[in-house]
Amino acid sequence: MGTLAASTLQLGTIPQARIKSSLTERARPISELDDIDGLVRTYRARLLRFVTYSTGDMDLAETITQDTLLRAYNGRENFRGECSVNTWLTGIAVNVIRDHLRTERYKFWKQVKSTAIDVHEMASFIAADGLSPEGQMLAREKVVHVSKVLETLSHKQRTIFLLKFSEEMSVDEICDALGMSVNTVRTHLHRALKAVRSQLGAAI
Amino acid sequence: MTTEVSAHLSEEALDDVLIGLSTPESDAHLAACSVCRSRVEEFRSGLQAFNQVSLAWSEARPMPRTTISLQTAARSKARRDLFAPLGWAMAAAMVLMIGIPIWNRDHSAPSNNEPAAAATASDSEAQIAQDNELLKSVDMALNTNEESSLSEYQLLDEHHSYLKKRAELRSR
Repeated sequence: MGTLAASTLQLGTIPQARIKSSLTERARPISELDDIDGLVRTYRARLLRFVTYSTGDMDLAETITQDTLLRAYNGRENFRGECSVNTWLTGIAVNVIRDHLRTERYKFWKQVKSTAIDVHEMASFIAADGLSPEGQMLAREKVVHVSKVLETLSHKQRTIFLLKFSEEMSVDEICDALGMSVNTVRTHLHRALKAVRSQLGAAI
Repeated sequence: MTTEVSAHLSEEALDDVLIGLSTPESDAHLAACSVCRSRVEEFRSGLQAFNQVSLAWSEARPMPRTTISLQTAARSKARRDLFAPLGWAMAAAMVLMIGIPIWNRDHSAPSNNEPAAAATASDSEAQIAQDNELLKSVDMALNTNEESSLSEYQLLDEHHSYLKKRAELRSR
């Protein structure tokens, strides 16, 4: 009886504690999402990077990033605080990318014009502090190599790889964002990782 | 004791470690094996460099005008949302202010309107009679025997003869 009472007490207290923690977690991000300037300032760059690499088109990435931020701002009441704001925004971006890729207009313009990423220009942004000129050159080569290898992956594999290794999302979060099962995500992740590691070889 | 090669982590096990699905065995192996540990660290450092550089590049990209207008649009929308209930209340008040007097006018004292309607009917009959008189006088004026300028130049005769010929041809 005593054990039962104790377990009932525990069951009664745990949800309250969870509610309290979820309320405190929730109060912070909602105020963050209310400020559109802050939202753009804090998350635009990360989103833009993810979308640029996921789509491989810089101009389209700008459009998708804006669309994502506007959708997030308009739907900020739906944010329940169960994940970080960055993860939530990335999930929205994934859906916006999917919508864009499905449209016939996108397929047409993809054939006509797409603004590819200039990997050499990007690699020039390497931080100079603490690196010798030789070290900078090696780091630049690494970055160019990784960028080029990412381009060889399929859209799904590349997206999952970026979500895991650039956005640092957990497998469960990736599953939620993409609407895929854990096994499917793991399979794509293993294939992507295998391809990247085999192509990079001694470069990394 | 196993040989050094067989002791290393397999590619699959290494992938699991990088994905974050390492087992206690692989963690223990990494703690002891410098070769496997360096492979993992090299991969991670390469990706870290890529992430840092790509983020710096992304941050340096100028914000397009459309993003600025997006912020303005979002702010004005927030303002609209704030004043929307007030707007609806004002619209409702206007509808009531206009609607209530109209409803009152249409639904109050119907007996007062009947004589006015009868007067309108009689007025219209008198007006019709007056109009008829006017039309008759116009007819009279037109039926006088004044010679038309058309007949003066024999245009009407030519026209009548043309119509006759046409009728004859049709009858054949």
